[in-house]
Amino acid sequence: MNAWLLSILIFSPLLGVLVLMFVPSSDEKSIKWLGVLGTLFPLGIALVVLSAFKMGGDELQLTEKFSWISYEVFQSKGQVSYPIFYEIGVNGLSMVLILLTAVVSVLAAIASFSIKQNWKSYFILFFLLEMGMLGVFAAQNLFLFFIFFEITLIPMFFLIGRWGYLEREKAAYSFLIYNGVGSAILLIVFVALFMKTGTMNFQELAYTFSLPQAELNQLFITKGFKMGMLIALLVAFAVKLPVFPLHSWMVRVHVQAPPAIVMIHSGILLKIGAYGVIVFGAGMFPDQFKSLAFVIGLFGVINLLYGAFLALTQTDVKRVLAYSSVSHMGIVLIGLAAGNTSGMTGAVFQVVSHGLISALLFFLIGALYERSGSSELSAFGGVAKRMPILAGVFLAGGLASLGLPGMSGFISEFMAFLGLFEKMPVLAAVGTLGLILTAVYVLRAVLSITFGAEKEMPESRDLSSSERVPAFVLLAAILFIGIYPAWLNDMLRPTLDAILLGLGG
Amino acid sequence: MLQMSWLIPLFPLLSFILLLLFRKSKSESTAWIGVLLTGISLVMSIGVFLAVWQGEGIKTEGTWFQMGERAITMGFEVNPLNALMLVIVSLVSFLVHLYSKGYMHGDDRFPVFFAYLGLFSFAMLGLVLSPNLLQLYMFWELVGLGSFLLIGFYYFKPEAKAAAKKAFVMTRIGDVGLFIGMVLLFWQVGSFEYDEIFASVKNGDLSSGMLTLTALCIFVGAVGKSGQLPLHTWLPDAMEGPTPVSALIHAATMVAAGVYLVAAMYPLFQASEAALTVVAVVGGLTAIFAASIGLMQKDIKRVLAYSTVSQLGYMMLALGASGYVAGIFHLTTHAFFKALLFLAAGSVIHAVHTQNIEEMGGLWKKLRITGPLFLIGALAISGVPLLSGFFSKDEILASTYADGKYGLFWLAVIAAFMTAFYMFRLFFIVFTGEARGETEKGVHESPGVMTFPMIVLGVLAVVAGYLNTTWFGTFLSDYLAQGAVELPHGDHHGPAWIPLVATLAAALGIALAYLIYQRGTLSRDWITRSLPSLSDVIYNKWYIDEGYDQTVVKGTRGLSKLGVLFDRYIVDGLVTAVTTGVQRLGRVGSRVQNGQVQSYGTAAIFGIVILLLIVALTGGYFS
Repeated sequence: MNAWLLSILIFSPLLGVLVLMFVPSSDEKSIKWLGVLGTLFPLGIALVVLSAFKMGGDELQLTEKFSWISYEVFQSKGQVSYPIFYEIGVNGLSMVLILLTAVVSVLAAIASFSIKQNWKSYFILFFLLEMGMLGVFAAQNLFLFFIFFEITLIPMFFLIGRWGYLEREKAAYSFLIYNGVGSAILLIVFVALFMKTGTMNFQELAYTFSLPQAELNQLFITKGFKMGMLIALLVAFAVKLPVFPLHSWMVRVHVQAPPAIVMIHSGILLKIGAYGVIVFGAGMFPDQFKSLAFVIGLFGVINLLYGAFLALTQTDVKRVLAYSSVSHMGIVLIGLAAGNTSGMTGAVFQVVSHGLISALLFFLIGALYERSGSSELSAFGGVAKRMPILAGVFLAGGLASLGLPGMSGFISEFMAFLGLFEKMPVLAAVGTLGLILTAVYVLRAVLSITFGAEKEMPESRDLSSSERVPAFVLLAAILFIGIYPAWLNDMLRPTLDAILLGLGG
Repeated sequence: MLQMSWLIPLFPLLSFILLLLFRKSKSESTAWIGVLLTGISLVMSIGVFLAVWQGEGIKTEGTWFQMGERAITMGFEVNPLNALMLVIVSLVSFLVHLYSKGYMHGDDRFPVFFAYLGLFSFAMLGLVLSPNLLQLYMFWELVGLGSFLLIGFYYFKPEAKAAAKKAFVMTRIGDVGLFIGMVLLFWQVGSFEYDEIFASVKNGDLSSGMLTLTALCIFVGAVGKSGQLPLHTWLPDAMEGPTPVSALIHAATMVAAGVYLVAAMYPLFQASEAALTVVAVVGGLTAIFAASIGLMQKDIKRVLAYSTVSQLGYMMLALGASGYVAGIFHLTTHAFFKALLFLAAGSVIHAVHTQNIEEMGGLWKKLRITGPLFLIGALAISGVPLLSGFFSKDEILASTYADGKYGLFWLAVIAAFMTAFYMFRLFFIVFTGEARGETEKGVHESPGVMTFPMIVLGVLAVVAGYLNTTWFGTFLSDYLAQGAVELPHGDHHGPAWIPLVATLAAALGIALAYLIYQRGTLSRDWITRSLPSLSDVIYNKWYIDEGYDQTVVKGTRGLSKLGVLFDRYIVDGLVTAVTTGVQRLGRVGSRVQNGQVQSYGTAAIFGIVILLLIVALTGGYFS
C-alpha cells in the first residue's frame, strides 16, 4: 500500500472527474456535493500519507521511482542513454504544502457552492487543478515538476476566464501570459541543467552542484553558469510569487477570479513560487543564493512596503487583499534573504500562514459578495449588527493578517524579521514600517465593512452552517499554528536543516 | 500557591470563552460568570502577593518551540514587582466587572461586553506574569486587542470606530519600537529571558551604544502604550469606549503597562544614563503638557483622560530620575484613585446621560455617594496631604530633585498645581452650583453594584499611600527591594521643603478653582480673555492631532495614491507596452510573408552571410 500511496494521493482527484462524467450537467445539487466529496477523498488520503510520514526523518519518504521515458543520444563518448524517471516523494516541507493543498481544496470546493453555472466543467477543471498542485509538491525531478506546474496553469486559465467577474477574460490572458513567460524561463533553465548534469533528480542536482569547483569544471559548470541559472530561476518564480514589478497579473486575478478560485490561487498557487525559490534556489545554489541575499531582502522589503502602501487607498476590498498578498509575500522573501534558521522557518511559516489567512479572507469576501453583489468598501457598513459571526470571523482573519500574536501571522512575521535583523538590521528596520502600514490598511478595510452605521444590503443573513465549516476550520488552523507552532516546526525542521546546512547556518 | 499562579490569567480567559458561547443570552446574570471568575483570580493574586511578601518567588518555563539550537520558551514568573501588578490588575478588573453589571444594564450585547473584559483581563494578567520579552510582547499586543475591542464596543458609532482604529495604530507604532528593541537584544544576548538579558547587561556584554539603542526602542513601546508624548493622541479618543473600560484599561492597568515595562526592564535602563534621561524628559514634558490640556476640556471623561496621560508622565519621570519605587508607588495609588474617578464619572454620566460638564451642576445633593467619592479621588490626585496621591507624588518630586533634574522638578510642581486646578474645576462645575441643562430631572444615585466598587476604591485611594511613608514605614520599598532590580543607592528623600511646595501647589490649584468656579470671584473666561491665543492653542490640544493629520496621515495617503498611479501607468503600462510591441512585431512579421520568392531568397542570402561572418569572426567556436 505504502509503495503506491503518494501516487494514489496525486491522482485521487481524478476519481472525482470520473464520477462527474456520469452525472447530468444540469443536476446542480449532486454536482456540488460530489465536488466537495471529490476533494474530501484526496484529503483523506493526504491524512493517511501524513500518518505514514515519519516526523523528524530527514530524507525523502514514500518515494516511488519508475523508469518512464528513455532516449538515446549519440555523443562523442558514444551512445548515451538518458532516462527520465517518474519519481516522487515527500519531505517535511512538501508534506506540509500537500496537506495545505488538500485542506484548502476542500474548503474552496465548499465555497464553490456560489458558482452559478456550468458546474460540471467547473468541478472537472477544479479537480485537475488540485491534481496539478499535489503533483508539483510531490515531484522529485525537474521534468515531472514542470509537467505538474503546467497542469495547474491550464485549468486555472479557464476557471478565471469562464467563471470570473466582469473583466475575467483579460485577467485570464494576463495570467497566462505572465505565467507562460515564467514557464518558458523555467523550461530553459531545466533543459540547461539537464544538459550539463545529465540528471533531473532534485537531490542529484543539489549534490552535483555542491561538488567542489574543480570537479564542476570538468562538467563545464562555471560559477557564472550557476549564478545565471539561479537568477533565471528566481525571475521565473518571482512571476509566480509574485515579486514587484511582476505583480500586476496577480492583482487582476485576485479581483476577477471567483472567490473560491482565489482561495486556491492565493492560498496555494502563489506558494509554488516560494516553494520553487526554496527548493531550487536555496536548495541547489546555496552559495550563489547567499551572495544575492541582500538583493532578495531588498525586493522583500520593497514588496512588503509597496503592497502595503497600495493597499491603503484601494476602494475594492478584493484589491486591498490582493495588494496585501503582494505585501505578505515580501515577508517570505525577507525570511529567505536572512538565510538563517529563524528566517527560513519564518518564510515557510508565512507560506502556510498566508495560505490559510488569505483563503479565509477570500472565503468571507465571497460570502459578502453573495449577499451584497459588491466588493466595494463603500457598499458595506455595520455588517456586525446583522451578521455578527461573519463580522467576527472577518475581524479575526484581519487580525491574523496583521500579525496578532496567538495567530499564525505573528509567528511567521516574527521569525522572518528576527532572521533578517541578524543579517541586515537596517533593511529589517525599514521593513518594520510595513507592520504599521499593515495594521492601518487591514483595520481600514475590516472596520469599514463591519463597523459604523448599517448600510442596506439585499441580503443580510449571517454565515449559514455550511459556510461556517470553512470559516471555523481555517480560523482554528490559524489559531493552532499561532499558539502551538512546535507541530509545524517539527514537521519542517529536517528539511529546513538540510537547506540551512547548504547555506552554512 | 505560587506553582498555581499560571492559572490566574486563565480564569478570565475561561470567562471570555463561556460568555462568547452565551453571546445571545438576554439574561444579565451572565455578568456573574465574569465577576465570579475574575473574583477567583483576585483571591489567587492576593494569595500570591502574600507569599511573595514573605520572600517567596517562582519561575517556571518550558520550550514553546525549538529554533535551531535555541529554545524559545514560555512560562511564568512571580517576583515582587509583578505580584503587586497582579493584585492591582485583578482587583480593578474584579471591581469593574461588578460595576459594569449595573452600568451596562439594558445593553443589547451585554454578555459580549463581559466577554471582552475577560479577554482583556486574561491578556493583562498574562503580560504581567511573563518571564521573557517575547511572551510579554505577545500579551502586550493582546491587551491592545482587548482595548481595541472595548473602545469600539459601540461599533455603530463612527467616533468609536475611528477611536478604536486610532488606538490600535498609534500603539502599534510604539509596539514596533518594542519589537525592534526585543529582537536587537535577542541577537546581542541570545535570549528573550529577562534574567539572561540582565546578566549580560551586568557583565558588560553590550556596548553602551547598543544599551542605549535597545533601551530607547523598548521605551518607544512604553510611550505608545502609556500615551506619552508624542504618541498620546489615541488615549483621549479612547474615551469613546464605555466608562468602566476607561477605568480598567485606560486608567488603571493597560496604560500603566508602559510604566511596568520600563520598570520590568529597569536594569537595562539603569545601564544607560542617556536612556534614563530620555525617559525622565519625556515623562516630565508629558506630565505638564497633558495637564495643560486638561485645564480646558469640557468632556468629563476627556479631562480625566488627559489627567491620566499626565499622571503616567509623572511615573515615567520618576523612573527616569532613578525613582524606581516612586514610579511603582504612584502607579499603584494612581490605579486606585483614577479608577475611582472614572467610575464616579461613569456614575455621573449614568445619572445625567451626558458627558459635557457644562450641562451638569449641583449634583452633590443628588448623588450622595458618588459626590463624596469623587471628592476623595480629586483630593487624592491633587496631592492633598494624608491621602494616597500626596505620598506617591511627593516621592516622585523628591526623587527628581535628588537626581539633580531641577528643571523637570519645577515642571512637575507646576503640573501638580494644574492637576489640582483642573480636578477641582471639574468638581465644582459638576457637583456644586445650580443644576444646568434639561437632564437634571429624575437624576438618582447608581445602584449598589456600582457604588460598592467605588467605595472599595475610595478606601484604597485614602489608605494606599501608607504603603510607603517615612512616618510609618517604607513597606513598599522594602518589598520591592527583594526583586531583581538593584534599587539606586543613596537617599532619594529630598529636602524637607518639597512636601511643603507640593502641598502649596495643590492648595493654590484648588483655591484658584474655588475662586473661579465656586465663588465666582474671578470670571470664568478670565484666562481666556487675558491670553486668547495661548488658550486657543491649549483648548485645541496644541493642534497635535491636526498636525499629524496634515503631515503623517496626508503624507502616507498621498504616497499611497502616488503608488496607485505608478502601479497603473508605469508597472502595468510597461506590460501593455511590451505586449503591444510584440503585437506590432508580429504584424511586421506577417507582412514579410508576402509570397514573393525574390524577397525570401534575399532574406536567405542575408542569413547565410551573417552566419558565415559569425563563423569567420569566432573562429568556428559554434560549429
